[in-house]
Amino acid sequence: MKPISRRLFIEETGLGILSTTVLPSVTGSPVEAQVNSPAVSAPRTKITIKVNDVSHHLEVEDRWTLAETLRDHLELTGTKIGCDRGECGACTVLLNEKPIYSCSYLSVWADGQSIQTVEGLAHGDHLDPLQQAFIEHDGPQCGYCTSGQLMSARALLNHNPSPTAKEVRRALSGNICRCSNYNRYVESILAAAKRGQKHA
Amino acid sequence: MPDAFHAVGKATPRIDAVERVTGRARYAGDLRFPNMLYARVLRSPHPHARIRRIDMSKALALPGVKAVLTRENCQVVWSGGDTRNKRYLFNNPVRFVGDPVAAVATTDRHLAEEALKRIVVDYEVLDFILDPEEALKPGAVEIQPGGNLSPNSKGQREAESYRRGDVEKGFADSDHVFEDLYVSKHVNNAQMEPRVSIAHWEGDKLTVWASTQGISNCQADMAKDLNLLPEQVRVICEYMGGGFGNKNQNHDFDLMAAVLSKETGRPVKLEFTRKEDYIGVHGRWPTRQYYKVGVNNDGTLQAIQLRGYSGMGPYRKSSGDIAGTELYHCPNVEKTVHPVYTNMSVGANFRGPAYPQGIFGIESMMDHIAYQLKMDPVEFRLKNCTQKYHDEVPYTSIGLQDCIRRGAEIFEWKKHLHPPGADPGLIKGGVGMAMGAFGAGIGKSSATLRLDASGHLWVYVGVTDIGTGAKTTMALLAAEATGINLEKVHVVWGDTDRCPYSVGESGSRTTNMTGYAVVEAARDLQRQLKEKGAPQGNDVLIAQSTPNPRLEGAARYSFAAHFVEVQVNAEFGNVRILKYVAVHDSGRVVNPLTAASQVKGGATMGIGMALHEELLYDRATGVPINPGYYGARVMTHMDAPEIEVHFVETEDAYGPYGAKSVGEPPITPSVAAIANAVFNATGRRIKELPITREKILGVTA
Ligand code: FES
Ligand code: FES
Repeated sequence: MKPISRRLFIEETGLGILSTTVLPSVTGSPVEAQVNSPAVSAPRTKITIKVNDVSHHLEVEDRWTLAETLRDHLELTGTKIGCDRGECGACTVLLNEKPIYSCSYLSVWADGQSIQTVEGLAHGDHLDPLQQAFIEHDGPQCGYCTSGQLMSARALLNHNPSPTAKEVRRALSGNICRCSNYNRYVESILAAAKRGQKHA
Repeated sequence: MPDAFHAVGKATPRIDAVERVTGRARYAGDLRFPNMLYARVLRSPHPHARIRRIDMSKALALPGVKAVLTRENCQVVWSGGDTRNKRYLFNNPVRFVGDPVAAVATTDRHLAEEALKRIVVDYEVLDFILDPEEALKPGAVEIQPGGNLSPNSKGQREAESYRRGDVEKGFADSDHVFEDLYVSKHVNNAQMEPRVSIAHWEGDKLTVWASTQGISNCQADMAKDLNLLPEQVRVICEYMGGGFGNKNQNHDFDLMAAVLSKETGRPVKLEFTRKEDYIGVHGRWPTRQYYKVGVNNDGTLQAIQLRGYSGMGPYRKSSGDIAGTELYHCPNVEKTVHPVYTNMSVGANFRGPAYPQGIFGIESMMDHIAYQLKMDPVEFRLKNCTQKYHDEVPYTSIGLQDCIRRGAEIFEWKKHLHPPGADPGLIKGGVGMAMGAFGAGIGKSSATLRLDASGHLWVYVGVTDIGTGAKTTMALLAAEATGINLEKVHVVWGDTDRCPYSVGESGSRTTNMTGYAVVEAARDLQRQLKEKGAPQGNDVLIAQSTPNPRLEGAARYSFAAHFVEVQVNAEFGNVRILKYVAVHDSGRVVNPLTAASQVKGGATMGIGMALHEELLYDRATGVPINPGYYGARVMTHMDAPEIEVHFVETEDAYGPYGAKSVGEPPITPSVAAIANAVFNATGRRIKELPITREKILGVTA
């Protein structure tokens, strides 16, 4: 990381953001974000990340978590922040197919990697079997933990297409649901797995 | 005759489920606006201190810091934050760890954090008290002017009390008198979505994107506290990530965002960290409950006396009641509850506010008595459970005995029951049960319907849907009442500029009140249809209703009975739940799918409260030491058992199609049911929540 004094770091943060009200566009081909910013804020690093199969060239502040970059700079707000400190799983995304807490993962670490978020589960109107099952079995109550539950479940089914209830619980043990709809989530995931089996 | 219905009573996926599973549902924290500022709150690190001076210069010197609010420059009173005293947005003295001291608005989230660190506050640290009984002792430091006993509803410095019969006579007439103390702790609602508020002014019109359980109340409170007309305030809440009672009305942070936005002329988003969320607003009030119960050899209750103390924190936001004694039929009852100021986090509403902890107390007590009398706890309940509210007022409908009988049958209670502590092994099996109840009110809300020529129906209701499925329930009721297919029913919600008044999703009353208004409006629509015929071309029919039904000398309650089988590991102290049966009387069930989810969620939350959760305080410093999901040990996938849900559908003459409440009742019996099962397994009663491993080892080792 580039050395920078704390004072400069703070001052430039202010300036940088003040002059940047332009939001990077999200969809389509690779986009160059934040290029309009005349002042460099905080230490910044250029990264390339692939999110839901779209490549993004971004200049991110080194302190931005992946959750923050996704939500605030790529407009992918389906990923939620429940605790911002690795306790709840609301921010779960897949990094190279593995579930991670995106609140506890810096954006710069994701350089060159491939990320899948909840927005990448459906293809057009065609929902992922997990999403379909979540609807039918009433997975989400408030829905705030749902994206995280879905992503952990997707990771599970990707490598274990027919898990037992116990395996589901274990795989999702890092995804808290304060509405405590745990039964419904497990039920949904088992149903989705069953359906997946039929179609396979 | 549920078959007569085409929509009500059919398990129906949520009408907004696609939004909820695709990430398209927008919660307040997901929104950003051009030029938006980020705000954060500086909170007191002391449980009680007078602020001598606040030096903001270093913070203001940071480029990008646009405004700082403190008591010096902001005297806004948050009226909902304390129903007895004047509570400012920033108070001096500060009275709990987490009491707001300042708020900053800056151009960047990280900068806001930095700015907070640069505010220098000179505190004069004062004595503090955490325990409500200590707080009432002579010489205790005064937390609010006038003393630490919070005034009762009449404004007198007296405990809240209820009396019928003569308890002293009842005790004298009893074959046995039992006395015990039960203690519950402060637990946090811990809803998944951290609190957040975005405020923006256009001229003198304020828009607040709030995470609220009630847009109408939030609007009214914002207007009141900021001295505006209600129509100057627009509150929008499209989706919200749970609240369980901690997002009712408006909050201090909504007001702070509004003031900061006014000050800077820019949209302001005020965000909370999870830690702040745990300590900064409120959780369930802790209680100390002294019971004395007189009973005859045959199990007839003679007298119940409860003297209780509730720790309200330093601000009185809620009743502080200890509910549960009304579950029993008994000629002599005396209840005095002292809501007391302490320097803990504020104690206020959390799902079934006064019930789970109160029912833990009374249902542990009664369970104990049943065993002492060598009676089956189920028989004891069936013999003594309430038939009339306070033995006086008839219930609109009551399925409590049915819940108990049905539950006992499904659970095979008789087969599982053994004398307490009879299992000699290291892994001890046990069963327990408890009754639950929750007042299901009725009252005023509005609904507007619009029918267009294509036969589509638009339902305008001021609900927000905090996860209960309220939107879907409204759609089902509208579909039922108009005969229109659910696919053609559209709900417009969550925006005070577009929706009429709704009571708010608290007190488990949305189905009852707003749902009732929907049904009444539909009647109006039917009348108009008969008169004018279906709308043609660009015409529409508009129907509206604001009913205000009264109960006329009746009490409306939802009831429940929960049964649980546990295994207690006497070596490690952990509790495994093998079987859990929840039977509920919620009147007519409008949507069995979402209603069962409510029961599963509520029961599971109660298990967490029974076994794990407590906001722990360092006695020496008054600082909470475990705010957050991990520290408070909330339930996870690994802890949650399968909750088997059953409904006994009573006929209730009130509410839409006879529906009563669903959201809050499920948490009311679950804490006690677990505690009673642990007792049956170990033969030892743990009288203080939560029933942790250490406490279990304390009695089994
Ligand atoms: S927000 Fe990342 S784990 Fe909670
Ligand atoms: S659905 Fe509300 S937290 Fe899981």
